[in-house]
Amino acid sequence: MKTVTENKLFDQTFEQITTFESGNEMAAIAAAQINYHIMGYFPITPSTEIAQYLDQMKARGEHDIQLIPADGEHGSAGICYGAALTGARVINATSANGLMYMLEQLPVQSGTRFPMVMNLVTRSISGPLDIRGDHSDLYYALNTGWIILTARTPQAVYDMNILALKIAEDRRVRLPVIVAYDGFFTSHQKRKVNYFKDKQVVQNFVGPASTDAPLIRDPKKPITIGAHMNGDDLLNNHYQQSEALYRAEAVFLEIAESFNLLSKRHYPLLDLYLMDDAEIALFLLNSAAETAKDVADQLRTQGIKAGVISPNIIRPFPAEAIRKALKKVSILLIGERADSYGAHGPNLTHEVKSAVQEDQQNNTRIISRVFGLGGKDFYPDDAKHFFFEALAALDTKQIAKPFDYYGHYPGEVNQALKPVIEPQHGDMFKTGLFKLTEDAEHNKIDVKIPSLRELTEKPKRLAPGHGACPGCGILSGLELFFKGIEGDIVVLFQTGCAYVVTTGYPYTSHKQTMIHNLFQNGPATLSGTLEAFHELKVRGELDVSDDVTFIMITGDGGMDIGMGSAIGTALRNHRLIMLEYDNEGYMNTGSQMSYSTPIGHMTSTSNIGRTQSGKSMHHKDTVQIMAATHMPYVFTGSEAFPHDLIKKAAKAQWYAQNVGTVYGKLLMTCPMNWRTDDQYGTKVMEAAVNSCFFPLYEVENGCTSITYNPEQKGAKLPIESWLRFMGKAKHLLKDSNKPLLFAFEKEVEKRWAKLKIKDELAQL
Amino acid sequence: MELPRTNELGYFSIRLESIGGLGANLAGKMLAEAGALGSGFNGVNFSSYGSEKKGSPVKSFVLFSDNEIEIRSHSPIEEPDVIGVFHEALFKTTPVLSGLQTDGIVLINSSKSIEQLSQFIDLSQGKIAIIDAHSIALKEKTRVNTAMLGALFRICDFLDPDDLLQTIRKTFEKKYPELVDANIKTFNRGYQEVKIHTVKNSITAQKGSFTRERSELGYLTQEIGGVISTQGNSLLRDLASSRQGFIPALEKESCINCAACDAVCPDFCFVWEERINKRGKKRMLLTGIDYQYCKGCLKCVEACPSNALRKVKESDQTISESQDRITFPLIKGE
Repeated sequence: MKTVTENKLFDQTFEQITTFESGNEMAAIAAAQINYHIMGYFPITPSTEIAQYLDQMKARGEHDIQLIPADGEHGSAGICYGAALTGARVINATSANGLMYMLEQLPVQSGTRFPMVMNLVTRSISGPLDIRGDHSDLYYALNTGWIILTARTPQAVYDMNILALKIAEDRRVRLPVIVAYDGFFTSHQKRKVNYFKDKQVVQNFVGPASTDAPLIRDPKKPITIGAHMNGDDLLNNHYQQSEALYRAEAVFLEIAESFNLLSKRHYPLLDLYLMDDAEIALFLLNSAAETAKDVADQLRTQGIKAGVISPNIIRPFPAEAIRKALKKVSILLIGERADSYGAHGPNLTHEVKSAVQEDQQNNTRIISRVFGLGGKDFYPDDAKHFFFEALAALDTKQIAKPFDYYGHYPGEVNQALKPVIEPQHGDMFKTGLFKLTEDAEHNKIDVKIPSLRELTEKPKRLAPGHGACPGCGILSGLELFFKGIEGDIVVLFQTGCAYVVTTGYPYTSHKQTMIHNLFQNGPATLSGTLEAFHELKVRGELDVSDDVTFIMITGDGGMDIGMGSAIGTALRNHRLIMLEYDNEGYMNTGSQMSYSTPIGHMTSTSNIGRTQSGKSMHHKDTVQIMAATHMPYVFTGSEAFPHDLIKKAAKAQWYAQNVGTVYGKLLMTCPMNWRTDDQYGTKVMEAAVNSCFFPLYEVENGCTSITYNPEQKGAKLPIESWLRFMGKAKHLLKDSNKPLLFAFEKEVEKRWAKLKIKDELAQL
Repeated sequence: MELPRTNELGYFSIRLESIGGLGANLAGKMLAEAGALGSGFNGVNFSSYGSEKKGSPVKSFVLFSDNEIEIRSHSPIEEPDVIGVFHEALFKTTPVLSGLQTDGIVLINSSKSIEQLSQFIDLSQGKIAIIDAHSIALKEKTRVNTAMLGALFRICDFLDPDDLLQTIRKTFEKKYPELVDANIKTFNRGYQEVKIHTVKNSITAQKGSFTRERSELGYLTQEIGGVISTQGNSLLRDLASSRQGFIPALEKESCINCAACDAVCPDFCFVWEERINKRGKKRMLLTGIDYQYCKGCLKCVEACPSNALRKVKESDQTISESQDRITFPLIKGE
């Protein structure tokens, strides 16, 4: 199916293959061909696919890149920085809040002058959260001292990934490089792309990694990296850096030219379309510029001199090239997919304005528009609207609104949201059927709970109509837990499946108060809410009952990236519950491995292939980590054992209201990514518990009790009985995977044995 | 081969309307690849983007042009030449036929006849193609998308079916060799069994109109900060299209009201009513299932200890037998 084109140059043939791929696939192909040493990464939509594709290729043995799944983007940037210090070739990929979370590391990387490449698959930053594309993340990168290349098409993504490394490592530059392309529009749309058949061509082009700078690679040549400075030294240091960044423009041109000889694809500083005699023009970054070109063509047939400018590089900003391009342009409309709030125009508006300001002959008038935020599509008629605005300004010689938003609308009052149900609170959620008594002798709480049937009189905390997948274990599990909680709750959902499916604006499935915050910060956020709530009450500024229960809900992903916040909250002993739904992966972003994924299990970043068999590390024992903070109550639960779970929920509420922090972990089936039948979700959970992979226990005031012991019930199952259910783990039952299965079994048995000893010995 | 028709930019376009989990994304990708790499057209393929969830509506777009034409469009296809509808229930929730070109073709996965379908398909002129992809997939133990692809290749006769058969072989050969034949058969059955009907309803043919959907809230009507003060309003949504042919049916005579079903239901569709028994005690009784919310996962059938819940094929009849509505404390309209 693949066609082959040949380019003959200097008697050499550089064969290229035509394929049909997306921007993310092309970024991964370029990285694999370069064969970077290290990629530290953390999944975030829409950049995650790059790591996924690289993991698939790795499983097939197609490259040697060490793919390191970090504990968050801050960690991924740390891994990349640490690796770059050795002179190893390093790549990363991120989007939106991933970039924000690693932001403090970016000036460290550039200021200490260690090259690397990062694909920034641009997406709107929170809040409100929006997973689709705009440039609000990219604009935060403008001041980091990184070189920034912008790629409009999957072809440009491939090409620029190759250019980027060579520019970064050039001894005149030695700076990290971002390749920025549009989330979804470029990252996910599949188009025809050419790439070099032989990776050697790419490797020859980038050359060997440079080692002539000070690096950590030889104990015989020790160096100190990152000494602190005062003003004189810092100013001089930054002058060096500033000069290096400006030098990158010439280096870019030089390297782009040699790439052109190789590939027959040319990347000037600016992509100028019909600009030779244009009177009106649009200045657009990345994919929107492509759409505008079609419209410029149409307008040309009507005799309108329209053109499009789109930069291939924005750091260093190609000011001179822009001055040249705008010599004859009367009206330029700059459309930007991000704002610089309060600045009377987004960043590039001001940069273009300041570029032309230095040309005293320039008469270009500039219109600035914010458009296409959060992935709002840019249709040809939108481009036409922009051109017509420019045309109107040309005719009237007036610009009514130099800066505005485009595409916003007031809405109609009769379509405003109206409440659907009466507020649900207080006594409505109290059955009075729970009996909790303190057993002072054993330092624990005894609980008597009503039957499931009796509990159906209590309204659900969540409304139906949410968007979870059929058979999702999260929603039933959470609601079962809520059955054990009496009275009002305030919940905080960290980013994750449960948040996404219950709050797709303008719908909410929450009947009581719900807060979302980004998922490394939920516990801290709810700590603040609850302390403020109590403080307001103490001061008499708030008159509500005392028994509101605060619950922070997170996935296992949130407990990876947010471990610090969770531990900090437990150590401060705030009176709240942290409830983790563990479905063994980052399911919301497409099933990447989490630290809770068991060894050998297949995810989109722990593939199965010739060279690897699923995840290479054991699953994280989050419960024991949290128990080590010595909070008053820690538990595990599962929907397959509803009475056990509801009891624990009631206890959790008691401890959270009377003593301090509670943590609980519920294991949940994810039918889509575990590859189980929707129907068998509960059975899969039951087997997870009975195989002792997920023991049901609690740690109450430091004492461990197993609350359901499958051995005593005669229900103990071999681990295979659980694995058999799941498409993600079935391969472990093959003979060739025996050692892996054995390792898993041994780990599960080891943890179970320890737990039994803790259960027997109260002092442990 | 040549494209049968193109718009002013030189594009021939296809829009697939589906729900997550039926494989429309993959179908779109395979269709586009066959055109772009096999038949030598230029092409683009992408999907409507969302979180990775099953059961919610998705669209997949395919654009073809002559290879010399650069496809610069990045926006969803609003006026397609071909529309493929992967699930009949979408007609209820989504304007699936929006913008269909005059003489365009709509392919529908349905077991209904042309007469039955014509009752709710408003098409002035064009072709309706029907394929019972669901039954084929069930019979061959394959997926709906392969049968739909067979039918789409028949409709898009400028593509070479051999390209796709090769892809099927390549995809399954290594990992699941046992699935090669079944998938090839499914594809061929889709190709052969699709029935194409010509429709001429009105005197003047007109292009299907389209409206660009947008949020009903604007900057004057949206609460600041994206806050929602209408708690629980997702109960207004209808999730019937998330189901794939089966529902749980409740046989009240066998029900022991143990609430095991209620405990495992992710979609909160069980309807309970408080009754006072002979001894004057209140008791909760299960009265039915609210199918507006049921996604057909059937976890409840597994959980039921008394076989009161059974898996049955979804039909108007089976729905009406167990249907009940949850009573919410609705705010009465003025």
